[in-house]
Amino acid sequence: MIYHDVLCPFCACLCDDIVVEVEDGRIVKVDNACDLGTHKFMSDEKLRSPMRRERGVWREVGMEEAISRTVEILLDADRPLLYGWSSTHVEAQGLGIRIAEVIGGVIDSTTSICHGPSILAIQEVGHPGSTLGQIKNRADLVVYWGCNPIEAHPRHLSRYTTYADGFFLNKAFRERKLIVADTRRTQSARIADEFLLVKHDADYAILGAIRAIVRGQTDMIPPSVGGVPKQQLLRVAEMCKKAKYGVFFFGMGLTQTAGKYKNVRNAIELVIELNRHTKFTLTPMRGHFNVYGFNEVCTWMTGYPYAVDYSRGLAFYNPGETTAVDILARGECDACLVVASDPAAHMPKKAVAHLSTIPVVQIDPQINLTSAFCELLIPVATTGIDAEGSAYRMDGVPLRMKAVLKNVHPTDTDVLGEIYRRIRGAKGCG
Amino acid sequence: MKVVLTTKPRKNPRIPVEAELLIPESFLDPSGAEELTVWEGNRERGLSDLFDIHVEGGAEKAEEVQLVVRGDTGTLKRVGERMTGGRILIEGDIGMHCGNLMKGGTIEIAGNADAWLGREMLGGEIRCRGNANHYLASGYRGEKFGMKGGVVEVFGNAGDYTAEYLSGGKVIVHGNAGDLPGIEMAAGTLVIMGDCRRACGNMTGGEVYIHGTVHQMLPTFRKVGEKVMGEPPAPYSIFTGDIANRGKGTIFIRNYQYLL
Amino acid sequence: MAELLVKNACVIDPLQGIEGDIMDIAIRDGRIVESVRNGAEVIDAQGFLTMPGGIDSHTHICGTKVNFGRYMSPEDMRAGRTVKRGKMHATSGYSVPTTYGNSYRYSVMGYTTVLEGAMAPLEARHTHEEFSATPLQDTMANTLFDGNWPVMEAVKEGDLKRVAAIVAWILEAVKGFAIKLTNPGGTEAWGWGKNVECIRDTVPYFGVTPAEIILSLVKANEMLRLPHSVHLHCNRLGIPGNYSCTIGTFDLIPDLNRNRQSLYATHVQFHSYGGSSWPDINSKAEPVAYAVNRKPQIVIDMGQMMFGKTTTMTADGPMEFNLYRLYHNKWSNHDVELETTSGIIPVLYRRKNLVNCVMWSIGLELALLVKNPWQCLLSTDNPNGAPFVKYPEIIALLMSRPYREKEFATLHPHTGSRVLLPSIDRELDWNEIAVMTRAGQSRALGIDRIGKGHLRAGAEADIAIYPLRIGDTDPSREYEKVIGAFRKTMWTIKRGRVVARDGEILVEGKNATIWVRPTVPEPYRMEQDPDFVRNFERYYTVRMSNYPVQHHYIPRNICIETEAVL
Repeated sequence: MIYHDVLCPFCACLCDDIVVEVEDGRIVKVDNACDLGTHKFMSDEKLRSPMRRERGVWREVGMEEAISRTVEILLDADRPLLYGWSSTHVEAQGLGIRIAEVIGGVIDSTTSICHGPSILAIQEVGHPGSTLGQIKNRADLVVYWGCNPIEAHPRHLSRYTTYADGFFLNKAFRERKLIVADTRRTQSARIADEFLLVKHDADYAILGAIRAIVRGQTDMIPPSVGGVPKQQLLRVAEMCKKAKYGVFFFGMGLTQTAGKYKNVRNAIELVIELNRHTKFTLTPMRGHFNVYGFNEVCTWMTGYPYAVDYSRGLAFYNPGETTAVDILARGECDACLVVASDPAAHMPKKAVAHLSTIPVVQIDPQINLTSAFCELLIPVATTGIDAEGSAYRMDGVPLRMKAVLKNVHPTDTDVLGEIYRRIRGAKGCG
Repeated sequence: MKVVLTTKPRKNPRIPVEAELLIPESFLDPSGAEELTVWEGNRERGLSDLFDIHVEGGAEKAEEVQLVVRGDTGTLKRVGERMTGGRILIEGDIGMHCGNLMKGGTIEIAGNADAWLGREMLGGEIRCRGNANHYLASGYRGEKFGMKGGVVEVFGNAGDYTAEYLSGGKVIVHGNAGDLPGIEMAAGTLVIMGDCRRACGNMTGGEVYIHGTVHQMLPTFRKVGEKVMGEPPAPYSIFTGDIANRGKGTIFIRNYQYLL
Repeated sequence: MAELLVKNACVIDPLQGIEGDIMDIAIRDGRIVESVRNGAEVIDAQGFLTMPGGIDSHTHICGTKVNFGRYMSPEDMRAGRTVKRGKMHATSGYSVPTTYGNSYRYSVMGYTTVLEGAMAPLEARHTHEEFSATPLQDTMANTLFDGNWPVMEAVKEGDLKRVAAIVAWILEAVKGFAIKLTNPGGTEAWGWGKNVECIRDTVPYFGVTPAEIILSLVKANEMLRLPHSVHLHCNRLGIPGNYSCTIGTFDLIPDLNRNRQSLYATHVQFHSYGGSSWPDINSKAEPVAYAVNRKPQIVIDMGQMMFGKTTTMTADGPMEFNLYRLYHNKWSNHDVELETTSGIIPVLYRRKNLVNCVMWSIGLELALLVKNPWQCLLSTDNPNGAPFVKYPEIIALLMSRPYREKEFATLHPHTGSRVLLPSIDRELDWNEIAVMTRAGQSRALGIDRIGKGHLRAGAEADIAIYPLRIGDTDPSREYEKVIGAFRKTMWTIKRGRVVARDGEILVEGKNATIWVRPTVPEPYRMEQDPDFVRNFERYYTVRMSNYPVQHHYIPRNICIETEAVL
């Protein structure tokens, strides 16, 4: 059986032209996907059943025991944390938010350790953006700042930017200019028309300098800023102003270096300034395929995109205080539900260390580093492979993930739905 | 009137306690203290579940109340929120959001203060004898204005984003401030006796005095003059900016260096 | 069989011509019936004002742009938080509340049906996901065609049938309800950071004018026999002197439909400005209202502005950027490939601001100068002019001259020289208010025939009972009482169930989505059209097979099927 136009459940490019060949209930061939996507399709190995660890010994348990123990842990906790969510579908994310609301927990997604700062910046100055097709069809100038799409989002250039022909650009590769800024000469930097080699933590100053130059204020700029010669800054500013349609993509090189959201804010304000001269938009290079979906559903349900604390029955939001990594590092939470993510692989040691002192339940198709900290592992179907559901591309375009295999495991929605139903029953709001 | 609250041992002392009712106004009615509640995580607790309460004398208005908070106070959040008068004395450290939206009165902190001390403060005085964490005297997410009035004085060091969005009042840090102090500042005064990094990005107005060194001075401020000032007198550079933002703030700086 | 009897209701139901009769309303299984058996549950309405459930025919409550308004505004979220309580979820937000916040607050005001004013087809799935989290109202979505490339190409070729066929395919694919044009042509120009001036300007590259887009779609709309007319946000929104563009647009529109208007022009307050720049702005509500009075083929909604904080959000991207340059607060923009755009900025409307005072007056003037209330419906273009929770105050302003005078006295002192409002005596009556808040919407949207906006046997049992007796209320003097009553129903009944009682939400609810499926003859099926398919695959960034919204997203829905005449 060959499935066409399948969506890739790896990164937030959310490529939807994948061809998947299935034989005897196994994926045997994947076309059009990049190596990262292909690997995800081809290596979907799961536990057979839930596992529980007691006194250091793992044993297989039934779904009934796994769910009832999860409910018990969540109901007992005074400050439960529900974390992860980026690699599952929106419907499951919504159930997670419901559970957090009813138990008075904190819910946060992997956003807080990748593009959380982008959101904080947007909350200060807004977001001049567009869908990726607008860029493909029009952009004659592309900026990648603090990101390396060739390695992290391999099809971004061929589907949406440098190599993608569009309506107003027939020979995209020749007609589009490419600017890359990074602290090292990445693969993406090698194909750039202009490469800014940025000193560590200098992004804020450099972006501010370009803003001033775009405004025609150049006298006070020193001969170089953060490793970038003034002449190059002048040249880059001119390229941006002269573009018919420019776009600014940025990644964790901007969001996770000193100043974090203020770096992003400076980038946004540069883009806003450029709109006085031409058309310019900005898009964060989101990571996991549905990390943006969590932000969307969390916003329409709670009012905030991530890091929501329901402990007092209303939604409170304050990244730095209500973000998972901070709550863990301060040792606040007394139970943790991890869904569709691997905090142990991505969070600082201090935060991860706290996981070993509290009951942790993991709902995930795969075993990962975090599994070692858990009391319970609940295997589920993989969204985009054997589970369906909504996902939001990095530019906010909502799509429906397909299932190409029949699921043997329950989906996240099945498991979380049952947990929610029981918790509501226990809380008397059945 | 003097009210002394001493924390009782808790089963899990790392769970933060939200205690926005710990303000002088709450104790004007002597029987009221029994009914006050605080939140320990997702559980609402009576004040007496978490504190020994000792009351001396009476008071008719907030100005006559002195509230002393003693013990393991580093996880108490929102103490002094919206207070209008009187005095709060924290004998040790204090948790986040102490004195936020405060309108009047005094908060004295003997130890260190966690983040968001004096957030969106409108009036009154806060003195912290130890260090203050990030977002000292700052604003709330998405709001245009941070602290609008009053005085915050920190005798130790301050963290990053000190006086972010400062829109009025005065903030004094006797030690060093971290990264990006005075960022987005629109009005008011910020004084840093020690060093800091990348001061005043995007500022549109107000005055900042930095008596130590600004590391990684931002390139978008224009030097407009020099002035001898300080104790002992020394030459200071005067900058205006942030030019990137059409800003008209003024910074007086003892020493600075760019990241070239 | 669930039966309910509402006794002693003082009913105003303009579509049936009932103007304040005391009567009983029988309900079975969610619909109005002639009678129910003894033993049915009874609500004694005690002679309180009872009307069909409110309908908002132009509001922004669900979808990409609305959610971005929330996303970028934690300060607005904290301004309107409520705790989880009983059947109610926690809510956040004042001008852009969470979906539950919108749903509860509308329900408490007696609203049971709402139309989302702008859905980009590519992002339709998002709107539908939020609809299912808006449980206490039935929902429908205006679908944006203002900058649609295949449509503009067909317009340029003068091929109306192809225009209609493209609209049919997209409406069905995205489960949309009606054709929406927001600054037609201008949203495409904004792809280059440009705009169009008015209806005779040319769209860059595509070489068509807004007038051609509007007229072609008005005609295509009737060829498809859609329930609603074209729903238009005129060019030049919010620019002094724009009234002539608005009237010029109205002059384009032929009278093509006997049952309803041929053009619904939305938030006309924003399109009725005189003057040549902000300093000399003045009201041109009179000539605009005069144009409407002469043209039965036009229906408008007010787009009333009320003082206070709010968030503006519209598909009119270039307009939002201009607004940003005035306010210098935050600005978001979101262009949607091949289709449209949108913009968002927060604003504060102030009584000290002369422009704001003129805007406030214009909205009221329109409602009072348009003679026929069926032609001017009540709206704020929520949340652009004000959050919808201000509707009760607007109702009171329309019903009470003394209230208007009292408010007028607090405005900028120069307002009087720029507006007409002080010279208008008219006070609307209960029946006119019922027209402007439900019956008129029902007819204009063409949903009277699926049982919305009236209480005839067979209709959906959506009913609002307000704690006020019209016999002993003088709205002119007792405007505070009117405001209080319209803020909070005694009972809101949705599909035969009491969903809100005296401000409390009693049920979780589940919405139904109303959408249209126009059937076109075989040769006009776009999924088989080689050009359409090739260009789709080449220029969109999603595959054509992944574009249509699956039925999964509209678990409960009402499909209006039409047979196109091409």
